Amino acid sequence: MQKKLLGNSYLLLVMILLYIPIIFLVVYSFNGGTIMSGWGGFSFVHYQELFADTRLLKILLDTFILAISSATIAAFIGTVGALFLDGIQNKKTLNTFLSFNNVLLVSPDVTIGVSFLILFTILGFSLGFVSVLVSHIAFSIPIVLLMVLPRLREMDNTLVMAARDLGAKRGTILSQIVIPEIWPSIMAGFLLALTYSLDDFAVTFFVTGNGFSTLSVEIYSRARQGVSLEINALSALMFAVSLLLVFTYYLYTTYADKKARLTK
Amino acid sequence: MDKKVLPVIEFKNVGLSFDNNTILKNVSFEIEAGQFYTLLGPSGSGKSTILNLISGQLSADAGEILFDGKVINNIPAESRRVNTVFQNYALFPNMTVFDNVAFGPKLKKLPKDTIKAKVREMLALVKLEAFENRAIQELSGGQKQRVAIARALANEPDVLLLDEPLSALDYKLRKQMQSELRAIQKRLGITFIFVTHDQEEALAMSDWIFIMNDGKIQQNGTPVDIYDEPINHFVADFIGESNIVNGVMKQDYLVNFVGKDFENLDAGMRPNEAVEVVLRPEDLDLVPIEQGKLVVTIADQSFRGDFYEITAIDDDGNEWKVQATNPSSVGARVGLDFGPEDIHVMRFNESEDDFDARIESYEGE
Ligand SMILES: Nc1ncnc2c1ncn2[C@@H]1O[C@H](COP(=O)(O)OP(=O)(O)OP(=O)(O)O)[C@@H](O)[C@H]1O
Ligand SMILES: [Mg+2]
Repeated sequence: MQKKLLGNSYLLLVMILLYIPIIFLVVYSFNGGTIMSGWGGFSFVHYQELFADTRLLKILLDTFILAISSATIAAFIGTVGALFLDGIQNKKTLNTFLSFNNVLLVSPDVTIGVSFLILFTILGFSLGFVSVLVSHIAFSIPIVLLMVLPRLREMDNTLVMAARDLGAKRGTILSQIVIPEIWPSIMAGFLLALTYSLDDFAVTFFVTGNGFSTLSVEIYSRARQGVSLEINALSALMFAVSLLLVFTYYLYTTYADKKARLTK
Repeated sequence: MDKKVLPVIEFKNVGLSFDNNTILKNVSFEIEAGQFYTLLGPSGSGKSTILNLISGQLSADAGEILFDGKVINNIPAESRRVNTVFQNYALFPNMTVFDNVAFGPKLKKLPKDTIKAKVREMLALVKLEAFENRAIQELSGGQKQRVAIARALANEPDVLLLDEPLSALDYKLRKQMQSELRAIQKRLGITFIFVTHDQEEALAMSDWIFIMNDGKIQQNGTPVDIYDEPINHFVADFIGESNIVNGVMKQDYLVNFVGKDFENLDAGMRPNEAVEVVLRPEDLDLVPIEQGKLVVTIADQSFRGDFYEITAIDDDGNEWKVQATNPSSVGARVGLDFGPEDIHVMRFNESEDDFDARIESYEGE
């Protein structure tokens, strides 16, 4: 009993420590003054500033468009990849592919960013939305693959046999049996890719050009001249969105788990 | 001679290996339309493999598989007129009962009303009319089994394959499903090929049984034939209870075992050929010593509901299992009696063809 209390208070303390900066950030976004030090009364003034700042709003929109497109395309490519990987019988070949996938997953963003920059420069590719999109898709594919492949592996192969037995050809089996089975994992992969793309700074920083920016890059460049509380307001909003995403992701995975357990 | 009915399925010297492991060697058999066949054998004997070859999930390395007289080795599974009931049901979890059963008919692009009628008919056949809109997760094991049967039959196959469909059900439900399956087969008049490792189930349900072991068909025949005249030690031991002792076939109709000569009904072997002798426990009687052919001591006795299973030891130390209607007492010395027709003699390594020919040679007279 005492041990439990101790453990719980420890966890609570760590959580509070982790969240204190965020709480400060959110609280100060409602500060009537202009700087983090000194409380100038409760006010929505920075939110008003934010909604009047069209440049920032456009960047916000761009960031979301980028995240949704890269996550969607990565979910598609990653799923197709997982389907191919699942078809590989040879263990050695499979492990080789998986290792390559995992290397991408753990390699630092800076490495990925720099290598894409070099690639685009060599190809004479102009930097902008497309170059950022391509690199975001690239770092999202391994994430999707990692979510989808295990689900495919544990799928009951007799379902596919039964569908064939009843006269279904490849395409039908894929669309009516396999995809519905792995759909929760595809969605989970999509959501994870979405948050990675929204979060990304390092890769984007390297491969973005003059005309295109994302929130994290923009905030970084503004922060060098001192953080305006407008950024606090924006960050608070972003934090709310992240919370929402995490919550959806949680709902999705528990739903998928429950469904998987029911079918067993 | 009558013109033979064309078999619906025929295997000609079919062989299959997985990574240098021979699973099936030289398997040949014929399946006639409209009968209830059973593949019976221990785990790993190749029963599922044979079903997968028929359905097209596996392809043979050697030999030919014929369907209605045509070689189908290269016809893919989805184009064969065969459907399967899988052991684990393999129902589609994201579909309702209705959609599961409608899966095959929908692929054939039949009109909606036809599909609906077909699904209802099949669900009625397996007594699940009221379950149309249920999710698969909301069914019991027995109900899932019925949906699996309805789904396979909805495609109107010429041959239905059933891979141990009843093994996950409890005893009572299994008995009930056995008779229902048999009734469905009779009613539809199509061929059923049923896989089981339960010999009782096989004997009770089948028109014809194939006994498998080690990737080979050991014997095939009607349940009565196989029970009464097992071809070898494996079959005699696997089907029913049996007492198997070594003996010598002195001449036609005279066999020697446990040191005595007995008249019997077997013939066609070499004089003084070493053989194995089978006596079924239910064919043995315990009698007063002077009336018995052998003298035995009762070693053990257990009540089995409708009979007593008694283990008796003869003076040479051989064990005899006896099924008796009346109890005996452990330690008692009694006589063991049997008639010439109760003795069945088996040669070592006799092939099924030789066995059939030999029996024909003296029973045909
Ligand atoms: N995909 C495979 N790869 C390698 N060996 C296999 C494969 N499938 C089956 N086997 C082997 O083939 C043999 C026959 O298998 P099969 O599934 O036909 O047996 P079965 O008679 O159906 O047994 P059970 O009653 O346990 O279902 C077994 O020894 C098994 O190990
Ligand atoms: Mg099997």
